[in-house]
Amino acid sequence: MPRLPLLKGTLDLLVLRALTWAPMHGFEIVTWLERAANGQLELEDSALYQAVYRLEERGFLAADWGVTENNRRARYYKITAAGRAHLRAETKNWMQYAGTVTAVLSAGKDARPATAGA
Amino acid sequence: MIRSGIRRVFALALRRRDQWERDVEDEIKLHLALRAEQLAAEGRSPDDAYAEAVRRFGPLTESRARLVEAARQRERNMARTEFFADLRQDLRFALRTLGRQRGWTTVTILTLALGIGATTAVFSVVSPLMLHPLSYPHSDRIVFVNQQPAGGNNTGIRVTITPSMPVVRAWQQSAHSFEQIEAYAMSPMSMETTSGEPSVIQTVSVFPTFTSFAGTQPLRGRMFTDAEIHAREKVALLGEGFWRERLGGDPSVIGKRITLDDTAFTVIGIMPASVDAPGIHAQPSDVWLPLDIHNDRRGGQVVARLRPHVDIGTARAELDSIYKRDPSHGAAMFQFRTVITTPGEQVSFRESLIVLVVAVALVLLVACANVAHLLIARATTRRREMAIRAALGAARGRQMRQLITESLLLAFGGAIAGVLLGWIGLHLLVAMRPRELDALHAAHLDGTTLAIAIGVMIVSGIVFGLIGTVQSARASTHDTLKAGSVALNGTSRARGRAVLIVSEMALSAALLVMATLLIRSVVNMQRADLGFQPQGLYSVTLHPLKGDITSKPRAAAILRDLTTRLASMPGVRGVAVASYPPGTRAFLIGRLEVEGETPSGSTTAFIDDGEVAPNYFRVMRIPLVAGTLFTDTTSKSREVLINAGFARSHWGRTSAIGHRVRVGPYVDAQWYTIVGVVSDVKTSGPGTESNAPMLYFPWTEPADSTAPPELPALLVRADPGTPMQALVTTASREAGVRGTPQVDDVVHTIRGAIAGGRYIMLLLTIFALMAVVLASVGLYGVMAYTVSQRTREIGVRIALGAPRSTIARGILVRGVLLAIVGAVIGLAGAHWATRLVQSSLYGVTRSDPWSLAAGVVVLAAAALLACIVPTRRALAVDPMTAIRAD
Repeated sequence: MPRLPLLKGTLDLLVLRALTWAPMHGFEIVTWLERAANGQLELEDSALYQAVYRLEERGFLAADWGVTENNRRARYYKITAAGRAHLRAETKNWMQYAGTVTAVLSAGKDARPATAGA
Repeated sequence: MIRSGIRRVFALALRRRDQWERDVEDEIKLHLALRAEQLAAEGRSPDDAYAEAVRRFGPLTESRARLVEAARQRERNMARTEFFADLRQDLRFALRTLGRQRGWTTVTILTLALGIGATTAVFSVVSPLMLHPLSYPHSDRIVFVNQQPAGGNNTGIRVTITPSMPVVRAWQQSAHSFEQIEAYAMSPMSMETTSGEPSVIQTVSVFPTFTSFAGTQPLRGRMFTDAEIHAREKVALLGEGFWRERLGGDPSVIGKRITLDDTAFTVIGIMPASVDAPGIHAQPSDVWLPLDIHNDRRGGQVVARLRPHVDIGTARAELDSIYKRDPSHGAAMFQFRTVITTPGEQVSFRESLIVLVVAVALVLLVACANVAHLLIARATTRRREMAIRAALGAARGRQMRQLITESLLLAFGGAIAGVLLGWIGLHLLVAMRPRELDALHAAHLDGTTLAIAIGVMIVSGIVFGLIGTVQSARASTHDTLKAGSVALNGTSRARGRAVLIVSEMALSAALLVMATLLIRSVVNMQRADLGFQPQGLYSVTLHPLKGDITSKPRAAAILRDLTTRLASMPGVRGVAVASYPPGTRAFLIGRLEVEGETPSGSTTAFIDDGEVAPNYFRVMRIPLVAGTLFTDTTSKSREVLINAGFARSHWGRTSAIGHRVRVGPYVDAQWYTIVGVVSDVKTSGPGTESNAPMLYFPWTEPADSTAPPELPALLVRADPGTPMQALVTTASREAGVRGTPQVDDVVHTIRGAIAGGRYIMLLLTIFALMAVVLASVGLYGVMAYTVSQRTREIGVRIALGAPRSTIARGILVRGVLLAIVGAVIGLAGAHWATRLVQSSLYGVTRSDPWSLAAGVVVLAAAALLACIVPTRRALAVDPMTAIRAD
């Protein structure tokens, strides 16, 4: 089964989502995404770090050095309140967008204007 | 909500570049290691697992570069965000602190505003007057060239001799010091208008080369040519302003004719409004005419552009030698010397304007000093706060930043208030301007000065703010906290404040003395005996009648008619003819010779003269001291009246009557017999010398020739409340002339003559008072601070039985002593500074004891006032509270 390339901007959303429950370091985020997407996403690992830095720059994430279970020094990322707000808003947008596109693609010839629900 | 800046709660200090680069490196390494472990756990060999980890990560070099770049951008943006967050915090904190000390803040901001506002307003007035009087290219090399008697100017006013046309031509041909020498003549002329009443317009006559000199071209049409000048063509260019305002900018005017002083001129072009008429404070020229090159008797004023790097001395020597080389133009008879002045030197009230600049600079200094010790005193009282903050972990750099933010905030407030004050001040200055400085109406707020003034204030704010911090930083946190509120009151610091206060007082004293000298001068001028009675006296200038007067007999008829009609009007007591009205002076150039005596001194000086009707003295109320008035008023009359000062200085107690005088060394100079002596007068206002020789010749009716005559003035003595302008208008209508003579109340003329001095006096007084107020505020600050620092000591002394009066005296004496020491130093300074106002003094000397005393007394009084509140506070100290306070 071919893997899906990520649409632009969606990675940020997925990273924020990953951090909703607990702070994680980079590799934890990657594995969480792989598990959540069931290995269906096509993503270079380095792209994730770029996304993380970008989110940190925008104040959606905060970072600090911490120690892993195996006593390794790792940079832990934590979602900020601004990040949560951003995630909420963007998730809503995405759902609406995806719903609309789905509705249009599955509509018949005489479709009324599509209404999409999120 | 976690603000982005909060990240630093974890990371604390900002990280340096090598650090975050290493962080990125570490992160990649960890990721690869964890991924390889994961893959190995799935059963791959270690090497294979690592290779796969790298493959999934992406091309290593590129990815790493991309990540480092992303991290760099992140760091940069976060640093910026953090800076602004800190700034916001600093600002909020500063606003809160300043708001708590509202009185202190207000005083500081007002001080800053006064400094900035006063400086800006004054420089905005002075700079257009002094720095940019003429807008020609290379204006730094533009000079005016005149002549003066070799013995100098003996008149006490600015008066020069315009070089004759042959002299100008000789200079133009031979002088190497100049790029270009231009002659010009300005004169009002009367112009025929369609409404019938001729109007007076301002004309300037120039050579065709003037356009290249002024770096301009006619807006429309063309400049006249050399050929036209030589052929005496009657052509004219209109000034753009005149053309637009009076002719509605009608382009078809070119080729049409205008009539000026009964001569028709063809309009050939329009001169742009951007060209200044040559001459300082000159009115815009309505019409530009060709300069009459053939009329050698008429002088030409000269404006010239020096060659680069030629100094004025060299140029003057060259013009002098050219003048002396050629005796044909009277060089043998007169002793003239060339005078070269820069446009700046020709500015009216130049000395006074310089005085103002000095004065306002002093005010700015006082303001700076005030801000300085306001800030220092505050920093000292806040040392405990600073120490506590330091103890709680505030970095010293961060504290500095906080203090600088406060200073800047103050400076900002001061700047805004200063701009406002400057704007108001400038409008007041412009509104109060005397007529001589009418050019001021165009003055606007000078941006450069504003920037400099604000800059000075900000820098002094930061510098002194920092001095305060550094001082507090020097004492260790531990010591300061332990010392309690009886802060280490270092004597060196107290001495520093005393020095500041003494200097402020000294500057204020110097300004006070200068202002008092000027006030006394103006009062003296207003009280001065002019030698005639200006109240109820009106001068009627006939210039607007020029268009009516085509010949001398016609002029004589009009004059006679007007005089008779005016004299019979109700309320009019007398009408006399004189060659010029009060407020104006005319001079003969030459040497005053007394018959039978060997002439002494220079052959050339200015000698006041006037031609007046016999009843002039009665109308002016000038008493006849000896002899009689004119008995012969025909053109053959050889009678002269002189002033008492001249009679006294030349003939002493013996009578001057019957002696004969003449103005030489003209070959055909006639002797005139002194028939009477009249008392001294100052017709041009109190500032003029009244003992200098003054010759009155009889006014004779213009007759014979057909050339238009110079028009005299009529002096009218009338009862108070007489509507003179209306009477003159009626009389002119009845006499059948079309123009309306100009009527001036001589009281206004005289007042106008001292208006300039009064203006400067007023400004200087304002500055002096500003300085005194500022200095007193400073003194108040220092004394209040001293008392608050010594509360405990005072409490102890009271508890030990010291009488409160002793304590109060101690504080008052200290304050007033500071003021008096300052005042004494200031008086010494005033001795030097008053040289600047020397030329504006009238009836007082620079060392006038009253003015000096006034300086000290006002200052001491202000100091006393400033000390009252601190003293009362000291008296109110409750010993128990004071001792227990810590």
